[in-house]
Amino acid sequence: MTAVGDVLHLLVTANLWQATLTAAVLLLLPALGGVISERSGVVNIAMEGMMLAGAFFGVVADLAWHNPWLATGVAMLAGGLMALIHAVVSIRFRADQIVSGIAINIFAAGLTVFLVNRIYGLQDVGHLGQNELLPSYNVPLLDHIPFIGQVVFEQNVVVYAALIILVLVHVVLFRTRLGLRVRAVGEHPQAADTAGINVYAIRYGAVVTSGLLSGLSGAFLAIGISNTFVPNMTDGRGYIALAAMIFGKWTPLGAFVACIIFGLGEAIYANNSIIHISQYLLSMLPYIITLVVLAGLVGRSSPPAADGLPYVPGSE
Amino acid sequence: MPLGSVLFAFIAGAIILIVTGSNPIEAYGGLLCGGFGVACTQGENPALQISNTVVFTIPLISAGVAVALPFRAGLFNIGVEGQFLAGAMACTAIGIKFGSLPSPILLPMVLVGGMVAGSLWAAVAGVLKATTGAHEVVTTIMMNYIAQWLLRYLIIGGPLQLAAGTSRSLPIGAGAQLATILPASNSLIILGLPSSVYRVHTGIFLALAAAAAFAFLLWRTSLGYEVRAVGQSQRAARYAGVSVRRTIIVTMLIAGAFSGLTGAVQIAGVDHNLTDKYFSDTTGFDAIAVALLGLGSAVGIVLASLLFGALHSGGAVMQADAGISSNLVLVVQALILFSIAANFIGAIREKLPFGRPPAGALPPEIPPAAGLMTEAAASAPPEPA
Repeated sequence: MTAVGDVLHLLVTANLWQATLTAAVLLLLPALGGVISERSGVVNIAMEGMMLAGAFFGVVADLAWHNPWLATGVAMLAGGLMALIHAVVSIRFRADQIVSGIAINIFAAGLTVFLVNRIYGLQDVGHLGQNELLPSYNVPLLDHIPFIGQVVFEQNVVVYAALIILVLVHVVLFRTRLGLRVRAVGEHPQAADTAGINVYAIRYGAVVTSGLLSGLSGAFLAIGISNTFVPNMTDGRGYIALAAMIFGKWTPLGAFVACIIFGLGEAIYANNSIIHISQYLLSMLPYIITLVVLAGLVGRSSPPAADGLPYVPGSE
Repeated sequence: MPLGSVLFAFIAGAIILIVTGSNPIEAYGGLLCGGFGVACTQGENPALQISNTVVFTIPLISAGVAVALPFRAGLFNIGVEGQFLAGAMACTAIGIKFGSLPSPILLPMVLVGGMVAGSLWAAVAGVLKATTGAHEVVTTIMMNYIAQWLLRYLIIGGPLQLAAGTSRSLPIGAGAQLATILPASNSLIILGLPSSVYRVHTGIFLALAAAAAFAFLLWRTSLGYEVRAVGQSQRAARYAGVSVRRTIIVTMLIAGAFSGLTGAVQIAGVDHNLTDKYFSDTTGFDAIAVALLGLGSAVGIVLASLLFGALHSGGAVMQADAGISSNLVLVVQALILFSIAANFIGAIREKLPFGRPPAGALPPEIPPAAGLMTEAAASAPPEPA
């Protein structure tokens, strides 16, 4: 009974929800990337690799130039380039998009450690100084709101950016002509092509955008939350983001809700001193919850109709 | 075509090496020495290198089969990693719990236990696919991570932990271990080294048997016919009276058994306990490359396993001799995957005026229905109830 009481007590602390939002944003950015990519009809299980590439190249750039903003740009570029490989292989060469996604993840894992060894030898990558990190920022006045102030308005700059991106993605996807085109291409590329939409351009754009967002998340992880690069530091977050995308039924707001749930789990076990369950067992929860959702126990979750199918002009 | 993909990957890898200021000849020399015991510069023992390559090859064969079989049914089993870990965990748990039993009883117990655990892990994906249409790629990814975290729990603070502060399990009983081919003796000298360093174990026969069983199952049984029928076209298979649901579930169960066997053999034959090494294990992902490169045939899988076994074994020598991170092997492996999936070689040959392949020369190594969410378009169950 005391354990339950402890959890309930934990749930009303602003600290917990502040940590939840931070953890959620790490997942939200690649999840939004996944939503955009898959809405355009390109299956993307490569967010993990894109994030990892972003984290690594962000740290390398930050160590070289001592500028977190520039480094974040480099991280996004690195994620975008990884995505571009996925796009070229699966759109231009019509490869199986899952094989390509797996290859991206293996490629990123191998390349980053190979380059760590190449650039820094056998030592650590090195740690970033305080003013080389992406800063936190308290929004004036709003941060004085009780509870909400600490949770939402005392956060890292990336968190604010991510929340704005969330709204943007939702509005663009469901309220603009561009969004309609992206969804049309993902549901019925032949019809979209007939209507004069450039299927390839939309898909390239969507996949690269997913890389930019995943790269940003990698930067947040490496030069916002940690202060260094560690091999495989993304630790499956790209895959949890994938789970969040499915959980959220391929919608930005749904994915956000899923990220908050998964982020809450992470924040709770970060405060594990009062909960006596192995953090490893708790770490399974996002995956188990997603399986439950997929089992249809919480309403069906199905992808866009043309998700995963290469587009061949003139085909039926 | 598979050779072309490998060649493409090595050339692209050489470009990466040159761009990052390494010498590709040194790097590939190290791989060659470590993989096949030829062209060694630092006095490595060729017999030992070949032995190491075979040890790395064994799990890849049975894991490759676990990818190739579902491929034929149009299912993409990227959950071999999780099923492999489930098999390893079951083997270890049984091998510890009943550690005092004699080998004729305990060894079958741990191997079958591993197969059952792998089957159960794969069953989740198979049943969800057959009943709700949930895509097996997504469900197997989830099961992979559940296995990863369960493993961490078991050997860090959980019931199998060796001692507080360690991240390894207790060792399995002697009766649960697979014998090495050569006697594990320090006094018997074979090819210049004590015979105990040659760690090739009897699991090699199980791996080859798995490959043979796969070929037999696929081409000589009615289940194999059903698997191929479902892979070609679910609709046509249904008209032919094949139960698509049943075939999907049974295929995943068998694939899971192959993966679970792989994990059990790895524990019983090589490691004898679970360690943190398994946190970063990549057998299940190597298996995907093996199955694709082997064009889904038993012989092809054995040959592809040998290549990747040599790459793994060679990576260590390359790192020691040439100072190049063994992670280059992962990069090359990813490049092979890109190359096969995108059919770069076919695209290059089409560009050449004289290199145009005859029509139909490029085999579709993935059955049409594996092109993802075709008929079972994830939302609709594959078969009306």
